[in-house]
Amino acid sequence: MKNLFIIILLAFTFQVNAQYKITGKVVSETDAKPLTGVTIRLTLKKTTIHTDGTGSFNLILSTTTDTLEFSHLGYRKKRIAINPNTLATLIVKLELQEQVLEEVNIVSSGYQKLPKERATGSFSYIGQKTFNQQVGTTVLSRLEAVANGLFADRSTMAGDGKLIVRGLSTIRGPQGALIVLDNFPYEGNLDNLNPNDIENITVLKDAAATSIWGARAGNGVIVITTKKGNFNQPLAIDFNVNSTILTKPDLGYLKQITSADFIGVEEYLFAKRKYDDQINSIYKQGLTPIIELLVRKRQGELSESAYNAAKADLSTVSLRDQFSRYLYKQGLNQQYALSFKGGSRDHAWSLSTGYDHNSSVLDEKYNRFNVRFQNTMRPVKNLEIQTGIFYTQSKSGSGRPAYGGNEPGIALFPYARLADQQGNSLAVMRGRRVGYIDTAGRGRLLDSRYYPLEDYKHVVNTISVSDVVFNAGISYKLMKSLTADLKYQYERQQTGGRNLSDINSYFARNLINTYTQLKPGNEIIYKVPKGGILDLSNNVLQASNLRGQLNYNQQWGKHQLTAIAGAEIKSSKSISDQSRVYGYDDLLLNYGNVDYLTPMPEFLGGGSSYLTDNRNLEENLNRFVSAYANAAYTYNGKYTLSISGRSDASNLFGLTANSRWNPLWSAGASWELSKERFYHFSPVPYLRLRTTYGVSGNIDPAMSAVTTIAYVGNSDYTPSPYAAFRNFRNPDLTWESSAMLNFGLDFRFKGNRINGSLEYFSKRGTNLFGRELLDYTGGIGSEIVKNAASTKGYGFDVELNSRNIIVGNFSWTSNLNASFYQDKVVQYYLPKQRAGAYLNISPIISGVAGKPVYAIFSYKWAGLDPQNGNPRGYVNGEVSDNYTLLAGTATKFEDLNYHGSALPTFYGSLGNTFTYKDFSLTARLTYKLGYYFRKPSINYGSLFDKNNAHADYGKRWQRPGDELKTSVPSMVYPWNSLRDNFYAGSEVLVDRGDHIRLQYVNLSYQLDHNRLKFLPFKSMSVYVNAANLGLIWTANKEHIDPDYKGDNVLKPAKTFSLGIRANLN
Amino acid sequence: MNRKYKNAVTILVIGCLICFSGCKKFLDEKTNKKLAVPNTISDLQALMDNPSKINSSSPCSGEISTDDYYLTDAKWASIAEIEQRRMYNWEKDNLFARASNDWSKVYMVIYYSNTVLEGLSTIPRTPANAPDWDNVKGQAYYCRGSSYLEAVNVWSLAYDPASSGADLGLPLRLNTNFSEVSVRANVQQTFDQLIHDIKASIPLLPVVPLSKFRPSKPAAYGLLGRAYLTMRDYENAYQYADSCLSLKSDLVDYNTLSVTDKYPFSFENNKESMYFKSISTPPIIVNTIAIISPELFNSYDASDLRKRVFFKKNTDNTYRFTGSYGGLFGYFGGVATDEMFLIKAECLARKGRVTECMDVLNKLLITRWDKTKVYVPYAATSPADALSLVLKERRKELVNRGLRWVDVKRLNKEGAGITMIRTLNNTVYKLLPNDLRSALPIPDDVIVISGMEQNKR
Repeated sequence: MKNLFIIILLAFTFQVNAQYKITGKVVSETDAKPLTGVTIRLTLKKTTIHTDGTGSFNLILSTTTDTLEFSHLGYRKKRIAINPNTLATLIVKLELQEQVLEEVNIVSSGYQKLPKERATGSFSYIGQKTFNQQVGTTVLSRLEAVANGLFADRSTMAGDGKLIVRGLSTIRGPQGALIVLDNFPYEGNLDNLNPNDIENITVLKDAAATSIWGARAGNGVIVITTKKGNFNQPLAIDFNVNSTILTKPDLGYLKQITSADFIGVEEYLFAKRKYDDQINSIYKQGLTPIIELLVRKRQGELSESAYNAAKADLSTVSLRDQFSRYLYKQGLNQQYALSFKGGSRDHAWSLSTGYDHNSSVLDEKYNRFNVRFQNTMRPVKNLEIQTGIFYTQSKSGSGRPAYGGNEPGIALFPYARLADQQGNSLAVMRGRRVGYIDTAGRGRLLDSRYYPLEDYKHVVNTISVSDVVFNAGISYKLMKSLTADLKYQYERQQTGGRNLSDINSYFARNLINTYTQLKPGNEIIYKVPKGGILDLSNNVLQASNLRGQLNYNQQWGKHQLTAIAGAEIKSSKSISDQSRVYGYDDLLLNYGNVDYLTPMPEFLGGGSSYLTDNRNLEENLNRFVSAYANAAYTYNGKYTLSISGRSDASNLFGLTANSRWNPLWSAGASWELSKERFYHFSPVPYLRLRTTYGVSGNIDPAMSAVTTIAYVGNSDYTPSPYAAFRNFRNPDLTWESSAMLNFGLDFRFKGNRINGSLEYFSKRGTNLFGRELLDYTGGIGSEIVKNAASTKGYGFDVELNSRNIIVGNFSWTSNLNASFYQDKVVQYYLPKQRAGAYLNISPIISGVAGKPVYAIFSYKWAGLDPQNGNPRGYVNGEVSDNYTLLAGTATKFEDLNYHGSALPTFYGSLGNTFTYKDFSLTARLTYKLGYYFRKPSINYGSLFDKNNAHADYGKRWQRPGDELKTSVPSMVYPWNSLRDNFYAGSEVLVDRGDHIRLQYVNLSYQLDHNRLKFLPFKSMSVYVNAANLGLIWTANKEHIDPDYKGDNVLKPAKTFSLGIRANLN
Repeated sequence: MNRKYKNAVTILVIGCLICFSGCKKFLDEKTNKKLAVPNTISDLQALMDNPSKINSSSPCSGEISTDDYYLTDAKWASIAEIEQRRMYNWEKDNLFARASNDWSKVYMVIYYSNTVLEGLSTIPRTPANAPDWDNVKGQAYYCRGSSYLEAVNVWSLAYDPASSGADLGLPLRLNTNFSEVSVRANVQQTFDQLIHDIKASIPLLPVVPLSKFRPSKPAAYGLLGRAYLTMRDYENAYQYADSCLSLKSDLVDYNTLSVTDKYPFSFENNKESMYFKSISTPPIIVNTIAIISPELFNSYDASDLRKRVFFKKNTDNTYRFTGSYGGLFGYFGGVATDEMFLIKAECLARKGRVTECMDVLNKLLITRWDKTKVYVPYAATSPADALSLVLKERRKELVNRGLRWVDVKRLNKEGAGITMIRTLNNTVYKLLPNDLRSALPIPDDVIVISGMEQNKR
């Protein structure tokens, strides 16, 4: 207002002056190339001209003073005030706008929004543009490829793709980061969120950033900020539509034994009479086709040649191929999003809807519908009222069975034939012998054969979720520098599960037959009524948060003070129930009555058993009360000091009042070096140093300080309720705490060619939950979890954004996230542990002082025995194949090889964006380096008893001399589990996990209304995206993807998407 | 400005105070409604009623080590668990899987019992709660005593009054402090403790329990009789077996059973059974695998119904065991009246009371005899003759009841000279009388962690 007045005043002052002329040239700041077609607007005169082909312009000005506004697509607006004294020839340099390199100005901690330039803590920011380069249905799945300082753990047993921020902060406690949606932790299923509602995401990495979240922040915090309307904003409409094709997965990636080899194994075991008990069993246990043929051959019912012909035929059958042919398909995901937002002087609002419809490669359906409405009002001066409501409804349904998935009973054998030549579904042996099934009950039982290609049609599982989040906030400006906030959020998520196995499903038929009684005459008694079996479950999660907060913000002279203080209470309750009905008829909703109280005779085997009622009730409640405060003081815009503290109490069971309150704090400082007068290093015009130290916590709500029991249900025998121990006395139970020291350096090179940050941090975890091995003479098992462990670690996070080439219409920019993290155990209670305990296939916490929390060890390898192909190691320095000693107590921990971390120590991503005119192409690589993994190989136990074996069987030692070309042990029977264990834990199966992956490629074409006037939109972009493109380099020679290496684990489907995003103004 | 500021701070402070004064109650809610700190009688009873912990934990190691059954070479090879294969032919070490085995099961029951006993010490006994209070306390004593008895039979040498003060017994856990360092008591102390526990349970337990899954007075007498028999204290064994029978002496007439049933008994309809507990049944002793020793099978008279009730023919003409008093619920490791008749008869024989002994034995055996055949009552000419008869019948009656192993150990102490023999892949393995290997090694991992002394093998 004041400025405008001066300008007007000036305008009058120089009224008398005559016309004058200004010529100039507009160039790009980065490479001094002239810019064509730049719009130059005279603010006062309200006329517009454009630069010519050489970037030049001419102006004749009548008024004495004006402001020129230069605007050009892809460049920042620049305003230059002119008056008659202005040089007649101007060279205007325009700065490239951060199209790809998004400028981060404001980060959110969930409690406050603060300018990054004044924050002392470590924040990693993901803007909409980067976020939207991916197309996935869920929010968190997009972070892995773009966020700084985190990776998804796919290496350990506990991992399962969980996002780990700056390495592990806990050993046994919950490992996932805390997810905050706008202001409060999000308790519901994160899949409920619509990615199109996301404005930006902030990852809080150091203790200063997370300490405000207190006891739940030890693993890092991810703050998701949703899009909101702004005041004084005309109506804006955005929409986004895309379709994604998921390619049919490659089952050939699974290293499985061939059918011919598997048949060979069955013949070998048959000759060793392994199956005799099964063959003679009164229970008529199922036998595979080859064993049935061998039985008939042995009994003289089948000639050698007939057997060989049948065998040759079965050898050609491949279960994997059939799954690929009959069950896997191409998937399709569709996403639609539409949003409106607008605002007047005292009112801002936004409304958005989203709809996702997915069909997976196994035809599993997923639908999600989102609506969100947010409203901010200023009814009176100084008062702001904000309300919001989110609603999500989703439904997911089961599809076809996955290879190696949930078959009833044991896995299908490799040569199981699912369909005949014409593609008709065939029955596969399951449970009982084929001959028995065909004749049992003389046709009076239900068909008890199993048809893998039909069964899934009769077993339908659906999960429906409806989630409502309601929030309201009042903010009142008590005075210029002080605001009081009251925020409330209520969330209710209801999840309903429905699992119907209809009368034609194997499960229902088999259960009904089990309890069928055939009486003389034609009487048939069904103890389980004929009909489907319906399981219903229901879970209601309700969470309430209430927060009162005072915000203080004062600037005087060179001083600036920002402070908040508040308290909050939070309660989250989960209530579940589960029930089953038998004899269910989906058409009429009829169901039958059953007897749960008397043991019922089983048709086969002569025993009797109780029918399960499959009922359960659960109720869980977590409550927190917290108080917190933080303050930041900045002097002269250069020096900032910050301090933060928080105390939490929870209803954790059995904690005494003293240990309920868990005080956590942090402090930090920053210094903007480049603002100092002595700073003259012009290539780096912006340089800022910052450091923080603080403590955050972590808690496992399942733990308890006192011995607790849990009621299990009603005993069938007494009958009365019975209980089992749940937790054992742990008087020292307390919160895990994680202290972190952080040093950061933020910088920007001249012309913003490179900007980024470099951070060093060190961490120390104390009171971590760790296993303590226990003498189980104590009666409570062989281990107990206590606050027993401590770890330390350090690392670097580097984020670099660079503009590599900018020539005319072409630019190439890069974004590099590089992190290094190494941790080691300082203290852990694992006395005199047997070496074998460190050699789990899927890494478990090794807990060895001085070594990483997850470390890979192995048995020393002495090669295969040239005589018999036995794997050999060393006992007391001597070559040995005594597995009782090798895999038992004789191998000490000191005898093992140590390889390195089981979690990546170097990780991050590299994105490159090329733009040419309106085209933009981004490709992003992710990498995980500096770690080891255990390769899967043949396990003879699983081959002999579980129909499942690794293709390495084909490479096994078979005759002397083979030991020179293979390290796969020979097959021996009887099975020696210790021999398998020794081989699985040996050094020949350890390899480097390092790999680089092409995560996604995104190509977009931007149409702009300014140039394409016919467009009904302000702007519109068309994009194509390809994701999960696979490894481009891996250190292991077999090309095993270390992230997807388990039995029957397929690589995620490659996806290809096409979409349109537009906005209307 | 200051005034407004002060107001705001005051409101905040008051708000906090209200919130925190209420928050104690707010934070005292349970995290999981099904959780409880075991501090009521019904909580403690719920622990004792856990069937999968309390009633399914009898050790199987003794049963695996006996000669009542055998495996063919092929069957032996088909047993996946190498520890069980090693236990079968009495190897010296590596006989137990890690962490979950007979040792962990036995001591888990002891921990449950100790929890109940400690818990009761904090609950006052009142006239109103006395029946329940006594009952659950009696159950805890019974279960602890029973667990020590089962364990000492596996991991210690046979009781010998001459050496029991020096022989290695069990670590005795009498409280819930699971961090206590394990130290082995001697065999005498171990028996003293278990006798104490069982005796303590007798006055507390009801004569008729709510269910056979809970101990009762007659079951406790019976268990005590078994314990004294193990100690070769035949006078006391006689007394307590007799006390048991005075409360419950029902016998099942095997003629009423259907021999065609795959499992003629079931745990609920068996009136001989006083307390139900099953022996864990790993594959090696499952009846479809374990073949009944022909010597045992052939020892039954053709008119003896047990031959048909207990055993069924396999397709290869060998026999499997189908006579568990638990029916399909595994082998019976509880207490039943038939065992009491045999204890009483054995003690009478040892006392020289031959006629009474034969009366007791005949009373039992006539219920085992085919009604359509003539039963000629057993008679003995001398105490030694009577004893020999009783011991033969004992073996024939108590098949797969967890008693053969300890009987062999006990009788070999008296010079019975029973050598157990296994033949595997043409190699003959023998366990000679009083061999040190008749005390199984404590699981290796327990020894490593606790530093306890291992049995000499």
